[in-house]
Amino acid sequence: MYANALKTALTEVRNICPDITRSFIFTKEGTIIAEAAQDAEISTEKTIYSFQSLIEKADTIGGLNTFLVNGNKGVAQISRVNNMYLALSASKKADMTYIQSVAKIIFPTVMKLLENIVSTPLKSAFSSQDLMAENLTGLFSGETAQINNEILKEWSKNLNNAHIDEIEIETSNGKIATCKVKAISEREFKEKSLIRIPEKIYRTLGVEKGELVKVKPIVPEGK
Amino acid sequence: MSVKDKSEELYASLRFNLENIRNKEGIFGYILRNSKSASVDINDPTKIIDYAMLSAESIETGEVAAEIFRLGSMNSVVIEGNDVKVLSLVIGDQRLSIFMDKKVDHNKISKELDLTKHNQRRNASFTQNSEENQEQNEIEVPL
Repeated sequence: MYANALKTALTEVRNICPDITRSFIFTKEGTIIAEAAQDAEISTEKTIYSFQSLIEKADTIGGLNTFLVNGNKGVAQISRVNNMYLALSASKKADMTYIQSVAKIIFPTVMKLLENIVSTPLKSAFSSQDLMAENLTGLFSGETAQINNEILKEWSKNLNNAHIDEIEIETSNGKIATCKVKAISEREFKEKSLIRIPEKIYRTLGVEKGELVKVKPIVPEGK
Repeated sequence: MSVKDKSEELYASLRFNLENIRNKEGIFGYILRNSKSASVDINDPTKIIDYAMLSAESIETGEVAAEIFRLGSMNSVVIEGNDVKVLSLVIGDQRLSIFMDKKVDHNKISKELDLTKHNQRRNASFTQNSEENQEQNEIEVPL
């Protein structure tokens, strides 16, 4: 229902603005959730794959909210909407103000409404947990955060035993980062309500030691 | 004018424009590179490697998107994060990324750099005409 509603919305947007040549919504993992009816089949896998690689490198500028390509025949824009990405391409004569309105106002509103209406949204509305931030440094700190195993077990239990390997961290000033997660192995940190955040993400989020951050699991599709 | 001379002239022209842009408020720096060399001026030196990787990736993704979405030849790529915006352009054999505050109007910066493109085209046209004239002259020269 959610995907169908999004497809209808994308098609209607295209009906209103025929200069839009292609539109679809995909997840960070690269799955296309909804796509407007197209005149011609075009493979988007290469673009999504390339875009995913760009997302990883965009941590240094605080994540990737918008990606805009101007060509001599048209434009393409990929915009972050909640935890998904909306891709729109249009001919050169398209009204860019309208494209921006679609990406920044219309679709976020549609998706917010759908999440409220649809009883089984794509991603469960999972209440976040407040944890104390701690910088995870060292040669092998990698890009995986560490939290108490009990929290991971509880999340998994509430999600039909789904394997939780990715989380979303949100700071008090609204900065968000996603990263892999695993259980804390060092005994000295085990019983504490803290999250050990890899140094690179720690810096990106701009958090201080002991600062409370909201942490929630990224729910695997279909759970 | 040889290809090498054209490339050097374009590089010099871009550097001149970039010096003006660099002094504007909200500009964090730039990376200008071609297949042989790179010129980097970034406020925070610790970010040079990350910015260089992002610059290369954004232009590459832009070229892929331009091909897949049939946008013609790529003029520019703009990526916007929570903190920083990046304008990337391919001008001749030069690949340029300018890093700026989100509030900076990248269209203005793009227009300033378009002058370089315009000059490049004009020079290319001038050179072509000169060569054509020279060819004609050569024909007209009696043996």
